[in-house]
Amino acid sequence: MILNYRNIFLIIAISSLIGFTYNFLNPEGIPLIKEERILQFEDEDIQHQESAISDLTDSNKIEDNEHQNNNDSEIEIDLPFSEPVAIKLPRAYELYKKGAKFIDARTKEEFAEGHINNSINIPFYESEKYESVLSTLNKNKTVITYCSGEDCDLSIMLSDELFEKGFKRIYIFYGGWIDWLKAGYPIESLNK
Amino acid sequence: MKRFISNKYLLFLLRILLGLIFIYAGAEKISDSAGFSISIANYRLLPIFTINFFAITLPWVEIVAGSMLILGIYVKENAAIITVMLTVFIIAIGISLIRGLDIECGCFGTGNQIGIQKIIENSFMFIAGWILIYKDSKLFSIKIHSSSE
Repeated sequence: MILNYRNIFLIIAISSLIGFTYNFLNPEGIPLIKEERILQFEDEDIQHQESAISDLTDSNKIEDNEHQNNNDSEIEIDLPFSEPVAIKLPRAYELYKKGAKFIDARTKEEFAEGHINNSINIPFYESEKYESVLSTLNKNKTVITYCSGEDCDLSIMLSDELFEKGFKRIYIFYGGWIDWLKAGYPIESLNK
Repeated sequence: MKRFISNKYLLFLLRILLGLIFIYAGAEKISDSAGFSISIANYRLLPIFTINFFAITLPWVEIVAGSMLILGIYVKENAAIITVMLTVFIIAIGISLIRGLDIECGCFGTGNQIGIQKIIENSFMFIAGWILIYKDSKLFSIKIHSSSE
């Protein structure tokens, strides 16, 4: 089998050159060296701070009973994050009890089989179709993305996408569906 | 069987089909380079700093090789390039299936997951590639006059 290896080399070399040129000129071009996306976990100190603050505001509420707010039942200090923050099961459950919105990044089918109670589904690979759902969410409120578990990146990718869309308080529930299920926390399923 | 494979119309058909598939595949990847980069990363096979080099160059190799196949220029060489790519794809998908990864193929942009079906599709193309490497396809092709033959 006689192949012109020189030509093979040239074809690959010239194609690569075209590729780099195109990428350079393309406004949506990607960086030459891909950066590793390092998951930032929430500082334990911050967890205690936030819990302490909401404990304080809770006690204030009890005294201010006459001045009732029709808005939220919680006064949270909603500071924006600099990037999505990862959390684990205990913190996720704590936020669940406070009424934070959970977003399931898995497919429709997986969501239907079972999801965290009261969570909504925004499949990462079809997120364009869920624009209308996204617009109903308050971007200043805390949202928590999750998918199946530690090996699943959908929650991370979805969180990055939401962050770019203006959601500034995003948590990534790292243990995901698997941890939630193991702990026996509230779930619901669309299948009968 | 040998005569069937040597049929010049069959060879022409394989060449055109393979060319079209790869042009389409390359174009889809180029239209979403960032997405393709993510697809490669999902396989967790390549070192992260090398991924974008492949994400940037591979689609263009597909388009150029596919185009040259259709024009009938250096058919054996381009078939060899495509066959090597297919080998790599089949191995990568195979490894990922064994590891139990439920990831996007990245073959034609976003939209389909890996699976046995992908391996079968790629295997058919692989076989077509091999046939073209051995048999060449000169029907309706542009002739390149090179002095070193």
